[in-house]
Amino acid sequence: MRTPIALALAAAALVLAGCTSVGTTAIPTVPAQVPLPGGAAPATASSGAAAPDCGDVEASLRPPNPLPAPGQMPAGSTMAKILQRGKLIVGVDQNTLNMGFRDPFTSQIQGFDIDMARTVAQAIFGTPDAIQLRALTSDQRIPALQNGDVDIVVRTMTITCDRLQQVNFSTVYYDAQQRILVKKNSAITGADQLAGKRVCATKGSTSLNTVLTLPSKPAGIGVTDWTDCLVMLQQGQVDAVSTDDVILAGMAAQDRYTEVVGASLADEPYGMAIPKQNEDFVRFVNGVLERVRTNGTWTASYQRWLGGLLPGATPAPPAPRYRD
Amino acid sequence: MTAILARRPVREATELAKTTPGVLSGLLLALVVVGLLAGLFTALGVQSRAQALNDLANRSGPLTAASQEIYRSLSDADATATGAFLSGGLEPAQVRQRYEADIAQAGNALAIAVAAREPADVTAPGSPLATLSEQLPVYTGLIETARATNRQGLPLGAAYQREASNLMRTQLLPAAQTLYRSENDQLSADQDRAGGVPWLEILLALVVLALLGAAQVYLRRHTNRVFNTGLLVATGAAVVSLLWVLVATLNAMGDVGDSRTDGSAQADTLARAHIATLNARADETLTLVARGAGQTYQDDYVKLSQSLGALLDNARTAATDSAVGDRVAAAITDSKTWSDAHVGIRGADDSGDYTTAVRLAVEQVPQGAAPAFDKLDADLRDAIDRTRATFGEKVSDASGALSGTVAAVIVLAVVMAAGSAAGIWRRLKDYR
Repeated sequence: MRTPIALALAAAALVLAGCTSVGTTAIPTVPAQVPLPGGAAPATASSGAAAPDCGDVEASLRPPNPLPAPGQMPAGSTMAKILQRGKLIVGVDQNTLNMGFRDPFTSQIQGFDIDMARTVAQAIFGTPDAIQLRALTSDQRIPALQNGDVDIVVRTMTITCDRLQQVNFSTVYYDAQQRILVKKNSAITGADQLAGKRVCATKGSTSLNTVLTLPSKPAGIGVTDWTDCLVMLQQGQVDAVSTDDVILAGMAAQDRYTEVVGASLADEPYGMAIPKQNEDFVRFVNGVLERVRTNGTWTASYQRWLGGLLPGATPAPPAPRYRD
Repeated sequence: MTAILARRPVREATELAKTTPGVLSGLLLALVVVGLLAGLFTALGVQSRAQALNDLANRSGPLTAASQEIYRSLSDADATATGAFLSGGLEPAQVRQRYEADIAQAGNALAIAVAAREPADVTAPGSPLATLSEQLPVYTGLIETARATNRQGLPLGAAYQREASNLMRTQLLPAAQTLYRSENDQLSADQDRAGGVPWLEILLALVVLALLGAAQVYLRRHTNRVFNTGLLVATGAAVVSLLWVLVATLNAMGDVGDSRTDGSAQADTLARAHIATLNARADETLTLVARGAGQTYQDDYVKLSQSLGALLDNARTAATDSAVGDRVAAAITDSKTWSDAHVGIRGADDSGDYTTAVRLAVEQVPQGAAPAFDKLDADLRDAIDRTRATFGEKVSDASGALSGTVAAVIVLAVVMAAGSAAGIWRRLKDYR
């Protein structure tokens, strides 16, 4: 009678021993993996010395009167060299909806900026198609001009005093306002509510500096490309995107759960950037812009690309200012 | 009490050892014990070598191949997904299928690699297996978001594609590389273990032979016989055992050496060349996906194509099989064709002709990069398969060379012990 009990006890002990020796590995709790766009990083305000005073940054060089006719550029001028080459090389954006973007179905880069660039080609060659578009990121714009890789940059480029030290600008061809883009349910209605929030902008843009110097002191996230900001907003990695209303409107058109809110944070006058030394070309481009403002080209292009994106009636083209 | 008891047998044994029968008894005991122990340890040594070969064939070999496969299929997925993205909504069916096959292959090879490890290896901080298991689903999610967005024609799609590729390049591929390196190191260690010189076995056999020699010299001096049959048989058994172990082990060592030079070492070089190829291809297409922000990818392409050239040259010098050599030579030609095509793509893109650049990059056109890349890819795959097969054959040859050695060593040790015992026992009986 005792032996079977002892055997049973021994068997039970073995089973228990077996149980305790297996399956003791603790399953750790791992954090969720959140992907980041390449190059995204927290940004700090560039504490640059007080911006130099250039007076009226929007004042450009006065155009010649009359403007040379297409195909008949003054000998030795920048335009004559471009005419001889046969193509105007323009630095553009291809990711910003309706300013400069590639239509995936036709593979053509198009948009408001591209229309403006084509008017310059039209004035030099007599045809808007004598143009070569080269895609650039924000921080490639000035180096591309300085290296002579492009004749002109028409790429949502704000005229600033800093930039005027390095390149020349045409008169203002578009007057943008820096605003913020948020998700519709975010309850953020303006820049004053951005305290403690994460705000995205591209590195090397004027928008990033404006965000970092806001009184509400949001945390800035710098990325390579504007669309990276929309990715991070959709993934909940940032709370807002802040840049020019026209770029934001392009993002809102790609994600209708977002909206542009708040008052203007800064005035962002867009100019066409031209290498510093090519003043003759600046004057020529300003002459072309004079014509574009008055002959209805500007208004038609605005209505085609931006009328559906931005609220309100079609504005008047920005008035040019000259410093002679 | 115990001291007195212990002292008497010791004294008696010491006195006995001074007599011839005493010495003979001691020799008998020593020969039997040393002979059997030597046999046991030699058998264990051979067994451990056989175990190392078994590990090569069933563990480190397949796991190295699995980790290589993870690394390759992830690199291929990255290159294929960006290529498909460039084709937009009209991506060719076989490109999509290739991406899907890559993900399935990576997932499966990852499961094999994880199953071979202890859970603690996976949960260790910074474990490449944890990174791969956690990030692969995130990657596929981003790719599908990019694809869906791209199909609507939104510029946003490219941003998701770049984010996915960034995840692949900064997290998944480095983890896959670490995993591959560690499995490859294990393979190399197993090869060292299986291909080492059998010093222990040689030493043991020499001890046994020395003991047998000493016993025979002693017997000749203290008895009238010149030869002792039992000891001669024992000596014969010990010599045969030593020769058997030497021949089998030297053969196995040769095969293990071949498994490295003709197999795994070449497979490693070729696999690295293959991965460099795939990553360079991903760079080429990403430069176009990035639309202007692609300089870093182009710089990376230049770096990778240089290392690809060096790896292919190494593979060519190392090739021992003419079929592999031919494949590598073809791969070198293909990589040159691809380089030329790449120059064409960059030229078109830099001069603003994006459409032509994309066509040259992804479509099967004569001047394009895709046909050259596909050929290079196929050549390298074929060469890798061949060297892996050679590795398997050589490891199996080495196992074959050792087969039966353990049993023979044990039987011969028993024969040696029995022969010694019988031989000395006969002389010992003379003193009764």
